[in-house]
Amino acid sequence: MDDKTKVLEREQLDIESLGVSDVDLRLPAVVPREPFPIEPLTIDARQQTRAVGQRATRPDGRLHGLGQTKYIDDLSFPGMLHARIKRAGIASARIKRIDTSAAEAMPGVMAVVTGKDIPVNSFGPSFQDQPVLVDELVFHAGDGVAAVAAVTEQIANEALDKIVVEYEPLPAVLDPVAAMREDSPKVHAPNSNIYATKVVRKGDVEKGFAESDHIFEGRYSTQMIEHVSLEPHAAIADWDATGRLTIWATIGRITLARADMSRTLKLPMSRIRIIGTIVGGNFGGKNEITQEPALALLSKKTGRPVKGVFTRGEEFTSTTTRHPIIMDYKTGVTKEGRILARQIRLVLDGGAYCSWSETTLGKACILSPGPYKIDNVVAEAFVVYTNKTMTGAMRGFGAPQVCFAYESQMDEIAKALGKDPLEIRLLNAFDEGSSSPTGQVLHSVVVKETLNKAADRFGWQEPRS
Amino acid sequence: MTDVTMIVNGQTRSASVPPETTLLQLLRDNFNLTGAKLGCDVGDCGACTVIVDGMAVNSCLMLAGQVNGRSVTTIEGLATRDRLHPIQKAFEDNGALQCGYCGPGAIMASKALLDENSDPDVRDIRDALSGSLCRCTGYSKMIEAVQEAARVLRSEERNQITHART
Repeated sequence: MDDKTKVLEREQLDIESLGVSDVDLRLPAVVPREPFPIEPLTIDARQQTRAVGQRATRPDGRLHGLGQTKYIDDLSFPGMLHARIKRAGIASARIKRIDTSAAEAMPGVMAVVTGKDIPVNSFGPSFQDQPVLVDELVFHAGDGVAAVAAVTEQIANEALDKIVVEYEPLPAVLDPVAAMREDSPKVHAPNSNIYATKVVRKGDVEKGFAESDHIFEGRYSTQMIEHVSLEPHAAIADWDATGRLTIWATIGRITLARADMSRTLKLPMSRIRIIGTIVGGNFGGKNEITQEPALALLSKKTGRPVKGVFTRGEEFTSTTTRHPIIMDYKTGVTKEGRILARQIRLVLDGGAYCSWSETTLGKACILSPGPYKIDNVVAEAFVVYTNKTMTGAMRGFGAPQVCFAYESQMDEIAKALGKDPLEIRLLNAFDEGSSSPTGQVLHSVVVKETLNKAADRFGWQEPRS
Repeated sequence: MTDVTMIVNGQTRSASVPPETTLLQLLRDNFNLTGAKLGCDVGDCGACTVIVDGMAVNSCLMLAGQVNGRSVTTIEGLATRDRLHPIQKAFEDNGALQCGYCGPGAIMASKALLDENSDPDVRDIRDALSGSLCRCTGYSKMIEAVQEAARVLRSEERNQITHART
């Protein structure tokens, strides 16, 4: 057993204790996995567990490679119906009339639901500002206005064309900076478009700027990004005869989803069971419910399981995305390049609903000064409603956007002062025990070691042509 | 309705489907072969890749009727009861499968390449995988996996030839 990790040993012992071999537990389809030879650990700068540096495979990799993993779209149940959602296609409007009668009369269409059918038509992880299907007002073009369940997906698609919705167009707010003005139309009237703010202050920036030899100012902005997980959002709802609801869903946070389902459907949580299947890519985009309450109601109306799978187009228009941020940076430095003060203003385009914007706002704001020792900092961040696809969680929660801004500015400062970009970062970077702009004393700080090692590895000091 | 008959993974299969049925729908809904995935339905992502008469195709862009009388290989046709296909094993060993949704498509695209070219260079592999999108960023691992699988397949072929001579 010398050549196996402790984890593997333990797994083996567990199986042996049952008196069966691993081979007996498997279908004969494929040979059992062989453990990888364990190479001796090289003692590195930082001692880690024995697992570091060793090769491992995913426990579910075998089924992925065989094509046997069951994602939502691979499941089906007897009598299962297919649901499709009618999208508004207009950024801001009042709904005057929805006529679903022609769709409901189509052969093969089993049920139609609209926003009026949802018991509590709002959900969200911090603010409950997102309707499952819009009923009175349209907040962005990807909003759902009605959901159809039919015996085939094709019939459901045809039924969407038969649903008539009359809109009264309203002025749309598309620019986040303009949305902050008092006289801007309100996305969620009468509330202000600025729905969350955060401010981080340290020292005295005015004094820092006064002492600086050079002041650098710049505006940086990033665009909206969709996660584009290869598996689209998909769910199956089964409202059974005893009033219990089972949902198979591509959701990472099943407990939160259960709470949202309970709220929107006015159904006790004890009657809701959510089965989180293997997710074909999440990246933050599958942290909330989307169509599930509508599917549940379609299932309740028809007494049959209902499956809904988003099209790739819906993935872009009707699911959360990464926040575009407009980032204004003002930085005061000495002749040598040491940063004395940094003032930052972030405007996050929050789209039509809050989703995970509060979390993103906080993280973006706290991390916006960068991994540098700066005594005087003011960072203020705002997230605003616009009539666009909602923004939410995505890998890093706002950290990649601000990193793009502060590192871009570091390069500009280095260029203007005639310094090496690496040198200016080493001059300012955090040390062991440095305190962050929020006052947190930092430990295990290896920024400088990392930069130096990276520079060595790719030959930073070699002459560049 | 259109009647189609084709060889799927070595077995003759028939179905009667509406004429607009795609090969992907036919495989998934009629033949219960759900290994090929629907990712975009417009031929961009390659999650639905299968092999038709030796060519890797996006099965979402091919009508079932177009495959009438032809031979289709899907991910389900690779492993035997005794062993994984070397490409499947290499993908697993190299960690080229994360969420796994693009995996079957990428493996089939690799298979079509290795059937044609037993010793591809990295550019050939990139070219063959260019139609398979992965968002967990597993491309470099996939390329390593295809190289490893190519080595294994070549040595197996050599052994077979030696075996046949003796």
